[in-house]
Amino acid sequence: MSNNRVTRRQFLNYTLTGVGGFMAAGMLMPMARFAIDPVLEKKAGGDFVMTDKKASELSETPVKVDFKFEQVDAWYKSDVTDTAWVYKDGDKIIALSPVCKHLGCTVNWNGSPEFKNQFYCPCHGGRYEKNGKNIPGTPPLGPLDEFEVKVKDGLVMIGKTRANTLV
Amino acid sequence: MFWTSKDIDEFLKNKQFIDTAIVPLVLLEGTEIGIKQSASGAEFLMSLTNFLEQQFKGRVVLTSPVTYTKSLNRKELIAAMHDELIASGFTYVFFITSDHEWTQLAPEKDVLWLPSIPLSDMDQKVRQQVLSDQLRQVIPMLSAKWSNQ
Repeated sequence: MSNNRVTRRQFLNYTLTGVGGFMAAGMLMPMARFAIDPVLEKKAGGDFVMTDKKASELSETPVKVDFKFEQVDAWYKSDVTDTAWVYKDGDKIIALSPVCKHLGCTVNWNGSPEFKNQFYCPCHGGRYEKNGKNIPGTPPLGPLDEFEVKVKDGLVMIGKTRANTLV
Repeated sequence: MFWTSKDIDEFLKNKQFIDTAIVPLVLLEGTEIGIKQSASGAEFLMSLTNFLEQQFKGRVVLTSPVTYTKSLNRKELIAAMHDELIASGFTYVFFITSDHEWTQLAPEKDVLWLPSIPLSDMDQKVRQQVLSDQLRQVIPMLSAKWSNQ
């Protein structure tokens, strides 16, 4: 028998260190992951949705732009189509949410012949100015939300909603 | 608003604004020709009423669809639904269907009849176009009721 024969003591030492090491790693890995979690988080920039509206086609008049995204409701996945009212203010592209701040109906630009150049809500006659500011005396209590907008390859991309920054 | 607990809470708080119930009436038929038609009609009606709900979220509550067969007493069914909804606080109750017989069965109720259009083979874009065209036919009927309060 050779001299470097593994003794019982050595064998136990090796195995215990090995197994202990795995256990320690198993415990430390998730901890480390949690600790650096903010770094691993996905960036919100990926939430922009492409529309088929060309940025060059936009004008000062708000137009309806449809965009699609996938919505998951428990097990039910569906493609949801949403719309935005998009127009140009100078060089800036503005996209407003069509959801009335009163109770959530969909507002329309020039939706009522009586009120030109305003957003009009057909449900309770709520009205908004072009920049989304609610007109006092009508039911809505706040301005229309705004979408984040980006242009990529000449096409308008629409992101998350945020509180109106124009009013 | 949909017929969900969250939306109904909203309705209970805002009864003076949310005053209209929309009840989809869906025909269930089992005959060989009828079954396909009834499925296609239901599909159309569900798409349309969801779209209608999106446009008028703040004023209408879309109830869960009522499914019936031709052998049921449909007059009684519609009357019971109508009374129940009126009792719960709605001012207007509209029924929406693609089954033409309702216009004769319940002429005194507000039944909006729309011919069913087979949507299943349509591209998403075309489908939307068709639905918004259909909805444009419904809006005047709703606003006519709403405006003569």
